[in-house]
Amino acid sequence: MPAVPEAGPPAVEVEDLEKHYGDVRALDGISFATAPGEVFGLLGHNGAGKSTTIRILTGRARPTGGRAEVLGHAVPDELDAVRSAINLVPETPTVYERATAEENLKLFCKLYGLPGERAGTALERVRLAHAAKRKVKTFSTGMRQRLLLARALLNEPRVLFLDEPTRGLDPQSARELHDLVREMAGGGSTIFLTTHDMNEADSLCDRVAFLADGRIVALDTPLALKLKLGGTPEVDVGLDDGSELRLGLEGADGRAELEQLVTAGRVRTLHSREATLADVFIALAGRSLDDEEPGAP
Amino acid sequence: MNFSRVLAILVKDLTDAMRDGRIIILLVLPIGLAVFWNATASDPDERPESTVAVVDEGRIGLAAALREAAADSVELETIAAADERAARRMVDAEDAASAVLAPAPVEGEPARARILLPENATPTAQSVVALVPAALGAAAGRPPSTEVSVQPLPTPASDQRAIDVLDTGTSFIVVGIVTLVTFVALLVVPMQTAEEIGTGTFGALRLAATGPEILAAKALSGLLFALLGTALTLLITQTAPDDPIPFYLAGLGLTVSLVGFGLLLGLASGNANQINTYGGFLIMPVLVIVFATLIVDSGPLLVLLDVLPFSQGARLMFDAVGPEDPFGAGLVAWLVLAAWCVVGFAVLTRVVARREA
Repeated sequence: MPAVPEAGPPAVEVEDLEKHYGDVRALDGISFATAPGEVFGLLGHNGAGKSTTIRILTGRARPTGGRAEVLGHAVPDELDAVRSAINLVPETPTVYERATAEENLKLFCKLYGLPGERAGTALERVRLAHAAKRKVKTFSTGMRQRLLLARALLNEPRVLFLDEPTRGLDPQSARELHDLVREMAGGGSTIFLTTHDMNEADSLCDRVAFLADGRIVALDTPLALKLKLGGTPEVDVGLDDGSELRLGLEGADGRAELEQLVTAGRVRTLHSREATLADVFIALAGRSLDDEEPGAP
Repeated sequence: MNFSRVLAILVKDLTDAMRDGRIIILLVLPIGLAVFWNATASDPDERPESTVAVVDEGRIGLAAALREAAADSVELETIAAADERAARRMVDAEDAASAVLAPAPVEGEPARARILLPENATPTAQSVVALVPAALGAAAGRPPSTEVSVQPLPTPASDQRAIDVLDTGTSFIVVGIVTLVTFVALLVVPMQTAEEIGTGTFGALRLAATGPEILAAKALSGLLFALLGTALTLLITQTAPDDPIPFYLAGLGLTVSLVGFGLLLGLASGNANQINTYGGFLIMPVLVIVFATLIVDSGPLLVLLDVLPFSQGARLMFDAVGPEDPFGAGLVAWLVLAAWCVVGFAVLTRVVARREA
């Protein structure tokens, strides 16, 4: 059964989705659903099936089995019904290099049947208005990524797919993209995100799913996953004699020792050690997200 | 299919092509070749040639009078024939384009002549007919009292090759245009398609348009490039096809028959630079095929030429460009082009369906 969000009809719903490439099972029966306005993260190694999932949901690949729906329409068969309501920021900069930024966006305005002025508005939203007349081949990686985002904003999509959107972005641009994502989600758009950046997933996503070998191995809110799978809570204690201690708080002994040190006035620094999503993934998959998937392309 | 989306992609493709140096070279090269060949092959003082068999029973100097009458307009060669039978043999053997039979003039009667003209006589041979009354009158010394009749002859079994009939400069223009069309369909269109695949913009377009809409725009851009390139070649060489509509239709027919394969090549390769690098090898086989179309008139090579779109498209254009109809290419040529078109687009449809699966 898919994990169904608490409220509202699902914006994206996937049930027992399978995609095989010959003998390789890129997706092996995954199920999940996302609610309108939710930021949903799909995490996993290269080759785990994240991009394949997005390709199916955006109508660019046909599933081998199972069901995928976006805004209540089966994809890719009913893609025409949702074409104008979805968009994608792909992993690679799929832009026309010999055209200007404005020309790139105006083409898609025409394809979506939108007024050309939308191009200027979208460029302003991603701080590229100054480069509207510049050929894209002169753009930096970050500018290209922002142009992709501007293109994805043109039709004000109800479901926006972001495939590794901050790869190659400087911290400032990444932060601005996060703000835009939050703004869109606040406006009711569903954001479907894949990323390698655990901090990004933790700070942006309402829920995350971990994908390994074509299967979803965990799906919940980041906090719930960290509590459930992130190990025992610990604190690092700096003492008055310059030494440091790490105390586990799950057992009575650790809690009593911490209380004793605090009471004795020996504690100079105290840091909680919370589990991260990276810890959760290591606990689930036995290796970090930075390690390549064996046999990944 | 949404035609406004097709139009938007088409405009983008045309604009993008004009910014791509590789594509501009591919378009300019065959046009330049056509112009160069035409310029080097054409002689501005060249007059059309014709040969006439003359039976001058009265020995009045008709052959010389004909040559003199034709001096400004036709390079006329005359062959003396002993009698009508000999003259007919010459016309049947295509040693002469026509024959003039002049009995000895009779005092007090108009000078008479009978002209034997094959049904498929060239316009030059037909124009020579118009010279006969004046030449006969001048030779007989009694202008304008002459009686000239024309006797049509059945078309002789021809052993003339097309290259013997066609004007050399014009032939080169057609060769250049066939090369241009081939370059557009099998290099320009695939390069644009491959670049979209390679850079991922094809996938981006697929979000906003359907696959058939994208491919239709690319096919249309190929047709437009072929059409504009053909028009430009004719304009620069100041060539006006005798049958302009069939000429342009033949060019478009050849483009359509090839463009499905061009799209397939682009989809399969996904690498525009690779197509550009190795596509140059295409020019030699195409030139060989088109030149072979002009000189091969029998044997297994003719069978090959009969089934290739390049040669059939070229035949249609050769027929339409000048007053002669050297190939008489009609329905069969169109059917061959249509067959290639159907095969190309059927395979393309199958490949696209498999890719989407």
